[in-house]
Amino acid sequence: MSAQLHANLTEAQVREISESLDEPEWLLETRLDALDALDELDMPDVIRTPGRNWTNLYDLDFAGFVDPLNAAEEKDQVGPDEVEVMSITEALDEREELVREKFGSVVDPTENYLTALSTALFSTGTVVYVPDGVDAEDVTVRTRMNSRSLFNYTLVVAGESSSVTILERQTTGEDVDGERYYSGLVEIDADENSNVQYGSLQNVDQETYTYSLKRGHADTYGTIDWIEGNVGSRLTKSSVETRLLGEGAESQIVGAFFGHDDQHFDVASRVWHEAEHTTADLVTRGVLDDEARSVYEGVQDVGSAAWNTNSYQRENTLMLSDESEADASPKLIINNHDTEASHSATVGQVDQQDLFYMTSRGVSPRAARNMLVEGFFVPVLDEIAVEEFRDDLDELVAARLRE
Amino acid sequence: MSSDQDHLRETDSEKRFEFKKEQNAAFAAEKGELDEETIRLISEDKDEPEWMLERRLRALRQFHAMPMPTDWPSQPDLSEVDVEEIVPYIRPDVDMRGSVDDWTELPEEIQDTFDKLGIPEAEKNALSGVGAQYESEVVYQNMQERWEEKGVIFCNMDKAVQDHPELVKEHFMTSCVPPSDNKFAALHGAIWSGGSFVYVPEGVTVEMPIQAYFRMNSEGMGQFEHTLIIAEEGSEVHYIEGCSAPQYSKFNLHSGGVEVFVGEDAHVQYSTVQNWSKNTYNLNTKRAICESEGTMEWISGSMGSKATMLYPSTILKGRGATDNHITIAFAGEGQDIDTGAKVYHNAPRTKSTIESKSISKDGGRTNYRGLIHISDGAENSSTSVECDALMFDNESTSDTMPYMEIEESKVDVAHEATVGKIGDEDVFYLQSRGLDDDDAKQMIVAGFIEPITEELPIEYAVELNRLIELEMEGSLG
Repeated sequence: MSAQLHANLTEAQVREISESLDEPEWLLETRLDALDALDELDMPDVIRTPGRNWTNLYDLDFAGFVDPLNAAEEKDQVGPDEVEVMSITEALDEREELVREKFGSVVDPTENYLTALSTALFSTGTVVYVPDGVDAEDVTVRTRMNSRSLFNYTLVVAGESSSVTILERQTTGEDVDGERYYSGLVEIDADENSNVQYGSLQNVDQETYTYSLKRGHADTYGTIDWIEGNVGSRLTKSSVETRLLGEGAESQIVGAFFGHDDQHFDVASRVWHEAEHTTADLVTRGVLDDEARSVYEGVQDVGSAAWNTNSYQRENTLMLSDESEADASPKLIINNHDTEASHSATVGQVDQQDLFYMTSRGVSPRAARNMLVEGFFVPVLDEIAVEEFRDDLDELVAARLRE
Repeated sequence: MSSDQDHLRETDSEKRFEFKKEQNAAFAAEKGELDEETIRLISEDKDEPEWMLERRLRALRQFHAMPMPTDWPSQPDLSEVDVEEIVPYIRPDVDMRGSVDDWTELPEEIQDTFDKLGIPEAEKNALSGVGAQYESEVVYQNMQERWEEKGVIFCNMDKAVQDHPELVKEHFMTSCVPPSDNKFAALHGAIWSGGSFVYVPEGVTVEMPIQAYFRMNSEGMGQFEHTLIIAEEGSEVHYIEGCSAPQYSKFNLHSGGVEVFVGEDAHVQYSTVQNWSKNTYNLNTKRAICESEGTMEWISGSMGSKATMLYPSTILKGRGATDNHITIAFAGEGQDIDTGAKVYHNAPRTKSTIESKSISKDGGRTNYRGLIHISDGAENSSTSVECDALMFDNESTSDTMPYMEIEESKVDVAHEATVGKIGDEDVFYLQSRGLDDDDAKQMIVAGFIEPITEELPIEYAVELNRLIELEMEGSLG
């Protein structure tokens, strides 16, 4: 295990975090269980091909950049009146039973080393509770990290026939030198016929390593749509996942990333069809410049009970530089023949003919390239229903192109 | 199975043997019966030169040092493969060959299949693994003479070691499939026996397919056969391995090795229809190295076996080289066919295409597992991978697991896969024109696998179609 990080973590530290948040006993127990489990747990799975691991998490110096007792951040947690948007502390005060029931029900805290670490050490979080039948828009969570490390926890509970749109953004403040670590776990419990849209935009500085695992459970006729943009960080290991547990459940996972310098994005979209008539659509587009590297895994798993499944996956990577590397592994696992499933992946560069067409009409090569890259993201942007989010992502892409 | 990238970039064999693998404690301590003495006996029995014995012994050491491939996602279960059991089958001093002596000793399902395929008695014996000499020796002799005039060599691999030591020494398990490639390649390197050696001189075209068929005897069609094909500059050859009729063996491991050297501007097609009996684990390593402007084509059908792990691979070493794969897998009850292709684009303007078709039925599992690697500097390379899977019922499984490692930006990479059940509408259409349900499905499947059948000589294509029909009727065990 990397640098035996957990050897430096003590029960006392975990108790101190728990006390400062004035937590109930059961949550402290959950944290301590996660701490105990660290010895036994492996890092999250990474793709391996003969002779190489696509992402090496074991060599990361967690001991160097995990500093659990000095977490500092600026946070905005706002939403309309009809939906409850609470900090983790408020939620434990006002909705303890709900949190107790749902905490760890979607993502098992001891799933892997990094989920356990996050569970043991998280000091900040957001709980969004949407009561039955409520339609809510624009819940916004902004996290600006001002410390060496930050462990964030998010829980979304959407009641029957409710709907909600949540936008999350992560950035880093300017006041820490050296490498940093951000970890975020997100659990979504979407009840019957509910509709949850969860967008997240990660733009931390390039000294920060990030780990994020987002997973949702979609009940009968429930919909969970994810959008995830990754622009910042030195290394990102991110998974966005949906289990379609109820008949007619649907999920769309839209991903975008833009890497430059020596950034490394290991992103995964995964969906499990576990009931009848479920539908999934996975769309990811990424651009790589300089020496950036992307690793993409997409999994469509159709269980034997999932009759009449529709499942689609597309991933396209654009390479702007010859020093970049794009690795992709879209996987289909089909255990029910009553399925219509497909996946595709492409890697290529900016179309030379398009470039020629534009430059021959007086557009400078640089501007032409930038327009083509922005155009490349359009199919992904088109999938984003929330205008504010679309504009944000578009702006980040444009800003990076102008650097 | 595990190999190393850097391996593939160099072609210095000696270095490769010294490549350090993760030692698996459980295996390092393994002291089975498969020992040096057994290997020495095999080598002595074949009256081999010292260098070949050395290679065998080195491969044996590799074998003992290497772990079983067990950490692949969703791989077939190999826990029943007991490699120590091989020993009695491979020791020349033990009278116990993998074949049977008499037709009646074959499992009923295999006898059945032959009857249904309508294969003549003499052929039946040879094809099914009954230790008898096939009667085609005459035909073969005539062709042999024609080839010899052109300088083409086609002989048993054991004979090649004796008669063409320089060619074999240079190419045998050195740069193409080193024993360190994976545990079963190492095993193969230690105990290999029989197989074909094909050498085609510069500029020579071998007009008709060379068939291993003609070389068959209890040794040539062994379970650890080694095929080495060397096609010099501008030459052309089509090699067909084995046959589509079921093959039976008492010992349940088949671990062959195939190495193909495609010279500049040469063209090699390698076709095989594997149909081991359903007690067999089929764990082969097949690889080609392709020089500039050369073309390699792999045509593979996997029908039989309990479990297959086979990923024919090509290293596109020279500028402008091309690699095409057409694979088809059919998995019925109790079968796990995990197969695909690997392509390394290590030079500019290299091209590859992979077309994979799979059918799973009655609880069988097929998996496409493939790797496309484009090295930095292999600019203007392109690859396209297409996988289509057909599923018959809800007990069956069909997976697709492609891996793409792209280190070069001036490329065109595309992978796509579809999975579906046999179209109700298609079946209905055919039924409404007077075909019954079974015939309709058979016709759909025949259409589905046409891309591969059209690449095979007619007698194979007919046999393959007939076999699939039998599989579909479920009339085979």
